[in-house]
Amino acid sequence: MTSRCAAVLASAVFAAAACGPKEKAVKIAVAVPLTGDMGTEGQGLRRAIEMAVEEANAAKRFPYKLAAAPYDDRADPKEAVNVANLIVSDPRIVAVVGHYTSGSAIPAAKVYARGPVAMISPAATNPEVTAQQNSPDWIGPRMVFRVVPTDDVQGAYAARFAYKSLGARRMALLHDKTPYGQGLAEQFKKTYVGLGGKIISEDGVSVGDKDFKALLTKIKGGAPRPEGIYFGGLYTEAGLILKQMRELGLNDPFAFISGDGAKTSGLFDVAGAAADGAYLSIVGVPVEELPSAAAFMDSYKKRWTGAGEELKPFDHFGYEAAQIIFAAMERAGGPDRAGIIEELRKTNHTGILGTTTFDDKGDTLNKIVTMTRARAKDRTFPSVKQ
Amino acid sequence: MLIQQIINGLTLGAIYSLIALGYTLVYGILAMINFAHSEVLMLGAFLALGLAALLPALCGSGAAGLAGMFVLSMAGAGVINVLVERLAYRPLRHVSRLAPLISAIGVSIILQNGVFLWVSTQSLRFPEPIAIGRLEVFGATISALQMVILASALLLMGLLHFFVEHTRLGKAMRACSDDISTAGLMGINSDYIIALTFFVGGALGGAAGVLYGMNYGSIKYNLGFLPGAKAFTAAVLGGIGNIRGAVLGGFILGFLEVLASGYIPNGAQWRDVIAFAVLIVVLLVRPSGLLGEKIAEKV
Repeated sequence: MTSRCAAVLASAVFAAAACGPKEKAVKIAVAVPLTGDMGTEGQGLRRAIEMAVEEANAAKRFPYKLAAAPYDDRADPKEAVNVANLIVSDPRIVAVVGHYTSGSAIPAAKVYARGPVAMISPAATNPEVTAQQNSPDWIGPRMVFRVVPTDDVQGAYAARFAYKSLGARRMALLHDKTPYGQGLAEQFKKTYVGLGGKIISEDGVSVGDKDFKALLTKIKGGAPRPEGIYFGGLYTEAGLILKQMRELGLNDPFAFISGDGAKTSGLFDVAGAAADGAYLSIVGVPVEELPSAAAFMDSYKKRWTGAGEELKPFDHFGYEAAQIIFAAMERAGGPDRAGIIEELRKTNHTGILGTTTFDDKGDTLNKIVTMTRARAKDRTFPSVKQ
Repeated sequence: MLIQQIINGLTLGAIYSLIALGYTLVYGILAMINFAHSEVLMLGAFLALGLAALLPALCGSGAAGLAGMFVLSMAGAGVINVLVERLAYRPLRHVSRLAPLISAIGVSIILQNGVFLWVSTQSLRFPEPIAIGRLEVFGATISALQMVILASALLLMGLLHFFVEHTRLGKAMRACSDDISTAGLMGINSDYIIALTFFVGGALGGAAGVLYGMNYGSIKYNLGFLPGAKAFTAAVLGGIGNIRGAVLGGFILGFLEVLASGYIPNGAQWRDVIAFAVLIVVLLVRPSGLLGEKIAEKV
């Protein structure tokens, strides 16, 4: 008994291998919010990636066993750094799918660079997530990738939509002061003003604020009154703004436009019927309308049948990120962090998102944005036909 | 627009005032800050959510169901507050002034995490009790919800005033607040009065929680923290221990926030900074709050 313990201890010290058969697996970290406001979206990503891992194991794609290792960053930048440190120090983790919010992804990427271990974000859209790798104080190789188009694409798209499709010439701008929300709002403003539109007012709100009535009253009474609001932020604040907007009588055709962070069924939990008619841009094409994703959606529905385990908006991005990592692992010939980073740069992957290749920053060149419109009666977001 | 902002300020202020009353009542008697009050508020909202699912079967929807939800949530929150006092504060009452304070912070963390772990980590949809009917007055839009919030808050404040000023129990409460040991010598059961005060304060907090849930349409395990901190501020602003002060402080804070985000360019970002800067200035000029007196006529 004692000698066995000693042997285990020795092997742990020398090979950094822990005991138990489960621990022998090669791990892909899933660093997303699993609790808190963004918890539902993060749990969806975890399910999608666990499914990808199970499929790879079932198909015996690798000579070793794979496992998904979920980490909860609570969508909190401080917690994201803690989680990233844990991940970097676990030698069995060869790559990371994460983080969900840009606020978490930006500081966490710096930690992964010290590993270095590759990180593919399935959802963080602020340009800085990958752009920071070009700054002179970046320590480590370039190892940040993402499979979603950035805010400049999304914000600019929403601005063209407001100006051209809705014919709105005056807009009020709101954002939640986070890298994601403010980034979107700034990109919106740049394109909108460039087109000839006028930004009547610009206000920041705080994440966690509940009362926007005074602010919305000001917007309503603005001279001239704007024809809509563009909000850069997440669904909790977006839902509260929508609800209070409607209470103040700001209804259609007064537009509410926001980004992918607000496009989740949680919006209907917060705003209820008031969410109806909100415009929300999303990156890519709605997964329901992607022919290449039909098989993925099918197996997802079969694998996850519990309450609240339906498909979330970014799940297919998470699944695709895992597939891209698997492909890189195959090409690298082994579960080796540096080899995977090297191979990820050469990615040319055709999967459920179409063909993904990365530019020299690590951003996907597959840059499609779609405008959707919330429909409260069946809690869906059908895409807007233009 | 001005009228609209006044209505916004009144609604916000009414909720702050109700919460502030809970802080001030307890402080008035025990000179202790009940940091768990914000959690009682949160639990009141969760109780109402649970009842909203049950009640329509029992007493139908509409006004009766709404009133039932209200009264039962208030009673539940009051009972929780009494239990907190009995278990976490009373055994420490004569130990030191710091011990109950730390105990209160502990209770607050336990209650919040309890809901986080056992009920939900996410925002839950709060049912809309009344359709969003609207009333247009002088170009301002008053929703039915705002009217309900204002009316029920004012009604509760009126009831509290009547209770404290015109009933025997209220008189006993005032006596305990003046001098708890003398009141005991005069035959007032101070433990009972303290429990009663916690019940009344908790019930008001529970009512505020229900109104809060109705106003914002969704509730979460940590919803109590921010309004709790603000209402505590309002109670201090008005003079903690003073009932009228708490109401006044709540409305002032509500109006300050509305004015800051409605009239100052980019004021929404600065809303809390402005509100708290005013608080500091007021306290510099009147350290015991607006209506607080040196020898405060507490409660």
